[in-house]
Amino acid sequence: MSALLLAESFAERGARERARALLDAQSFRELIGPFERLASPYLAAQGVVPQSDDGCVVARGTIGGKRACVVATDGRFLGGSVGEIGGAKIAGALELARRDAERGTPMRTVLALDTGGIRLQEANLGILAVTEICDAIVALRMLQPVVAVIAGRVGVYGGLSLSTALCSQIIVSEGARVGLNGPDVVETESGIEEMDSSDRPLIWRVTGGRMRFEQGFATALVADDVEAIRAAVQHAFEAPRELGPLEPQAFPDPRLDLDTFLRAMGIES
Amino acid sequence: MNSAWNTRRRRKDERLARVAHLVRDRRFEGRDAVAVLQELIEPGDRLCLEGNNQKQADFLSRSLAAVDPQRVHDLHLLISVIARPEHIALFERGIATHVDFSYSGPQSLRLAQQVADGRVQIGAIHTYLELFARYFVDLTPDIALIAADEADAHGNLYTGPNTEETPTIAEATAFRDGIVIAQVNRIVDTCTRVDIPGDWIDLVVVADKPYYIEPLFTRDPEQINDVQVLMAMLVLRGIYERHRVQSLNHGIGFDTAAIELILPTYGERLGLRGEVCTHWILNPHPTLIPAIESGWVRSVHCYGGELGMERYVAARPDVFFTGRDGSMRSNRAFAQTAGHYATDLFIGSTLQIDPDANSSTATLGRIAGFGGAPNLGSDPRGRRHPSVPWLEMTSGDEEVRRGRKIVVQLVETFQGSGVPTFVERLDAVELGRSANLPIAPVMIYGDDVTHVVTEEGVAYLYRAQNIDERRAALAAIAGVTPVGLRAEEQRTQALRASGVVAFPEDLGVRRSDANRTLLAARSIRELVEWSGGLYDPPRRFRSW
Amino acid sequence: MIETLSYEYPASDAVDRRAHVGVVASGNCEILLEPAQNGNASVVVRTSVTGFGATWNAVLARFFVRNPVAVQIEINDFGATPAVVALRLEQALEAAR
Repeated sequence: MSALLLAESFAERGARERARALLDAQSFRELIGPFERLASPYLAAQGVVPQSDDGCVVARGTIGGKRACVVATDGRFLGGSVGEIGGAKIAGALELARRDAERGTPMRTVLALDTGGIRLQEANLGILAVTEICDAIVALRMLQPVVAVIAGRVGVYGGLSLSTALCSQIIVSEGARVGLNGPDVVETESGIEEMDSSDRPLIWRVTGGRMRFEQGFATALVADDVEAIRAAVQHAFEAPRELGPLEPQAFPDPRLDLDTFLRAMGIES
Repeated sequence: MNSAWNTRRRRKDERLARVAHLVRDRRFEGRDAVAVLQELIEPGDRLCLEGNNQKQADFLSRSLAAVDPQRVHDLHLLISVIARPEHIALFERGIATHVDFSYSGPQSLRLAQQVADGRVQIGAIHTYLELFARYFVDLTPDIALIAADEADAHGNLYTGPNTEETPTIAEATAFRDGIVIAQVNRIVDTCTRVDIPGDWIDLVVVADKPYYIEPLFTRDPEQINDVQVLMAMLVLRGIYERHRVQSLNHGIGFDTAAIELILPTYGERLGLRGEVCTHWILNPHPTLIPAIESGWVRSVHCYGGELGMERYVAARPDVFFTGRDGSMRSNRAFAQTAGHYATDLFIGSTLQIDPDANSSTATLGRIAGFGGAPNLGSDPRGRRHPSVPWLEMTSGDEEVRRGRKIVVQLVETFQGSGVPTFVERLDAVELGRSANLPIAPVMIYGDDVTHVVTEEGVAYLYRAQNIDERRAALAAIAGVTPVGLRAEEQRTQALRASGVVAFPEDLGVRRSDANRTLLAARSIRELVEWSGGLYDPPRRFRSW
Repeated sequence: MIETLSYEYPASDAVDRRAHVGVVASGNCEILLEPAQNGNASVVVRTSVTGFGATWNAVLARFFVRNPVAVQIEINDFGATPAVVALRLEQALEAAR
């Protein structure tokens, strides 16, 4: 039983500690950390106290000795929901990774997502953020793998589950869930016969990590153990396995900027 | 016999004769349940219904709630726990108009409403053992409705891990010519084991579904926070280690669950395995699994079972009380007796504490009662066998002296939303007045309390020389509550110097060491792993 | 709504570095602690549980009496009890030393 006492839970850790755990020892360096105080400007007016890092940590370092960037969302702050600032951090990190890859200095990029989806208090900005994130993932993975780690207590829901689906490698733990609509939303919309949201084993049977792995949605299933997850992440970069063909021509140029887009739509910018 | 002396026996025979046409070999069909109850029960009867802490004879209670109130009314209900909606329906429909009970947590609001509407009169609120005791004195049931897993053709019953108080209720009723009716999950040729002999049972019915059990004693380690870990460390160092506590009872809560979970880690570091916490009176808490697996626990006797723990308990017969069949046997009456007389320590939590350390969970607008706490949290003045902790609680060289049980109140200085735990006057006092109760519903009396523990430290009340010193010691650990803010700095320092109060640093506990990494298991999943897959968490606790 | 509270206390000791602990989750709070410029201790509290200014003052005053450190502290609070706040302050101080 002493093995249980030595095991290190990944899910127990906050976002910062998860990012630290995924990067090589001593290599963690946070970008726009809590002391920059880049917090949500919208929450206070709605009676919600903002968190200094908006529940999102971006850190650089190395993974397996190679340059790396890890993004981690904190499931404990407003359910890990993504608003304008957190979303910009994620999209920005992916954008920087793409530029580095284009310059020939690629950065191993990991998204450790633990989020209920878009933050309702910042709805439209969250949706915009998700589109930018999806855009950025598609652009980046044409140049290198993008690895998602879904191993927290919330899992990943909503728009961020779409982002996750675009990643080239998806590592899940059995305790995590991956779904679009939360079980209580499904129950409200479609009735209790469709989804009894109080039936926890059912929720995990449908959206839990093991099911997602068995369906082929996730590429690796890991125990809730820091060492196991680190190993899975390194393996994902060193021996990548694509999730089926991704034809670049199926997507318009992801670097399409707003002006060009508007011109194409016939709208004056 | 002169017929003046066996009226009870004759009355019983008459009643059973009335339902004989619906009964064959002691059994009646589920579809006839309402009719049987209507024929058998007479207005004004004392009826004991198994609403226990965990197990509910819910087929019989639902059937009882469906009888015609014109025929069956004004019953005097005897029940351990008013737990289910149909229990309240009995009052609403006039089927029962008097009640004696111990606890009504799930229905405390509705019970208060029934009392306020004049639909039910409370005889008294009891502690469990006290209520069972009265079944043998002045509250003997005329009818008992009980629940069991199995019955055989002779009416022998198997009650298994959830035996609870069923044998006690059946004994009191059977041996004074009351009628015992048992609902069972199934009929078998031979019971898994005989928990209650068929001689005590008059009628058996197979229920429409297995009797309901509430998993009350499962605490998800994910909900335990750093403050609870801190308080657990203070208890372990400041009380269990200091007084060498070997036998004990934990009141259910996240804070006591934290104590159970730091034994294999912090407790191991302190070298306490085998020295403390060896003998337990406790329901089979899943959070005790790591301590058991790590070799801390020599025995556990349980009040009742706990859903999901059946296979684990059956696989640990050296620790738990199990029958020849392998499954656990619980017994609330004996566990309460043991918790009173045979344990060195009780520890539990509460909502309010007054300056004299009286405590209560009573809230205005609710009538809840306290279950076993008043019994467990009181000094057993009849105890005669000594132990190190018991003797240590008193001092002095008198030729004639007694020891004392350690009774600990474990609380944070504030409840959520800025509500202080330490108050000048318990809400229970006002509640007693407004509900016309003869005494204020106090859960544990201050003069029984030997220690109070908060996140600020430990007050060793048993060491206080007088009431003034007791109050000062309590205030010293009451933090920034109004009571705590009245503590004088110099007085507090003097109390620390004389060992009446200890802050964490006085016990060698660093506040910043208190965090969840000290918990041997931090999720339900990890408890399952500790148990080697033997623990089967109920569905609501699963996250896989 | 959000209540913003400010407090100042006398201080004498220095800390080595800044520290960040906690999270803005229900019943919890986040603390940012930095060495102070001017040799006093100053605290700003932002909380969604309003009306407990006196309690905050009592908790903070007690902390600084025991630990007279010259620091600037920001607390973002989501209903942490005094016990949780006191623990987070200790954790932040420990990390800053």
